[in-house]
Amino acid sequence: MTACVKHRMVVATLMAFVATTASPATVAQSAATLIAATSDGTALNVTIPIFDPGIPDDPSTYRDMQVFPRIRQIEAKMMPFLLRESLVESERWGAVRVVTNPVAAAELQLIGTIVRSDGDWLDLRIRAVDATGNIWLDKVFSGQANEEPIEHKGDKGTPEFQAIYSEIVIELAAVRDRMDDATVSNIKGTSLLRYASELAPTAFSGYLEQTNDGTLRLLRLPARNDPMLIRIETIRNTEFLITDTVDAKFREFNADLTRTYRVWREYRRKFVDYEAGNIKFAEAKAGDFKRGSWAAIKHQYDSYKYDRFTAQEQDRLAVAFNNEVGATVEAMEIRVAELDGWVEQGSLEWNSLLEELFEIEARMQEPGK
Amino acid sequence: MPADFSGSWARDYSRGDNINKVLQNTAYELGRKSGHGGPAGPMASERDMSRLMPLARLVELITRTDVLAISQTEHEILVERRDDFALLCAFFNGVAKPTESAFGREICGWDGERLISVQEFPDGLRVIHQFNTSEDRRELRVITTASSDTSPMPFTVTYYYRRFEKIRGQYECIETLSMKRVCSTGELAL
Repeated sequence: MTACVKHRMVVATLMAFVATTASPATVAQSAATLIAATSDGTALNVTIPIFDPGIPDDPSTYRDMQVFPRIRQIEAKMMPFLLRESLVESERWGAVRVVTNPVAAAELQLIGTIVRSDGDWLDLRIRAVDATGNIWLDKVFSGQANEEPIEHKGDKGTPEFQAIYSEIVIELAAVRDRMDDATVSNIKGTSLLRYASELAPTAFSGYLEQTNDGTLRLLRLPARNDPMLIRIETIRNTEFLITDTVDAKFREFNADLTRTYRVWREYRRKFVDYEAGNIKFAEAKAGDFKRGSWAAIKHQYDSYKYDRFTAQEQDRLAVAFNNEVGATVEAMEIRVAELDGWVEQGSLEWNSLLEELFEIEARMQEPGK
Repeated sequence: MPADFSGSWARDYSRGDNINKVLQNTAYELGRKSGHGGPAGPMASERDMSRLMPLARLVELITRTDVLAISQTEHEILVERRDDFALLCAFFNGVAKPTESAFGREICGWDGERLISVQEFPDGLRVIHQFNTSEDRRELRVITTASSDTSPMPFTVTYYYRRFEKIRGQYECIETLSMKRVCSTGELAL
């Protein structure tokens, strides 16, 4: 078989593969996102992987640290969407996507870790890194939940901890404002070539260089009409479509979880009040009774009893929360895992097809072929 | 875990201490030790009795529960008591993990197959519950002791519980947050 015939076959396989990965409905649904994603403008696309729930390794610390692992896992899935909404509303960014795993080639990636979350207070660490490896910010944002009563919120309302998301958006915009267009263009170029070198290392690994500070430097750019790069862009856009389908699915589930989460938060806030009440009860009367008297002994026992009641009621409600959202979360996890598997499988096939194509093209360009 | 206490237990009123008898015996013992007494024999002084009584009242109060529901996992034993908080014994890698707050401390330990739960309160009050089952695991013995440096003697009572099987209701119920308790005659699916 000649190199030319084989080339056509590989291209056909590649295009067929790309075509089957997105349905017309999906294409239409994600068109708006795609325009932003592929635009040549200066708006950077932002990728937000699901947050690290920050669950300690040692289960014996859960009670003391007020960590409810299942709820933390749900928060780690919900919070990226709330941050995403704030970024989209700021109209400063291109496509903002929530993904299941970090993507090294992302133009700008926001990696979040929940440091503390008790329903009333949130400490959220955000590390923003662009495709060149430059760290935009790495800090813990803290804040109290807004006081809007749950009955006024419904499923919409202001998200809890909105102040934190707004602060993150402002700080990111400030970093972006300090950058000139050339820097942004360099980030975009590096992002595309990182993606390209992951898919076809032989063809694209020579375009980037790692500097001493660990960041990546763009050495040169391929020609705009480089057929291999055009293919890579097509594949990337298709992958964006799939990501947006996952993202849309996530958003759907997220809306289901929001209301229940708000009820949980409302309870958590009440618990904080109960705990304060318990302390008040213990302090107010402790000094009033003669040591060793029945009143003093009963007061000691009751103070502990109310404290334990509060903690145990909280445990019970954590189970109730899980009972309510368990099925939704499970369905979400299955669906997302399916889509993830699909993307991963696709990447492997693209990878080998592109490598093959690159070798054929290189041979075709040799004199006499 | 060296022993399995899981299940539902109902108080066996045909066995166990009579709290008034225990109080009389303790008063007798106190009188014998201090050499205080009357024509009827040794008897605790009024001062000693007034210091012992708060502990006796506490023990009477906290042992009123007639049903215990005990759940047990690899890491935890939870003893749910009607009208009182649940006792929690948490173990991680075999080591007891205390439950602590500003109001007290709760820790468990094993003595052979006997489970010992200790609650320590600020100001020196201490309550100890000891649990052990009969060989056939049909009977549970609970020994409760309250002590304090304000009392001349600890106060201890022993009660027995018999295992019973909870009758399955007509409905399957689970707790949810926004819908509270949800029940169904069939298998529950939210």
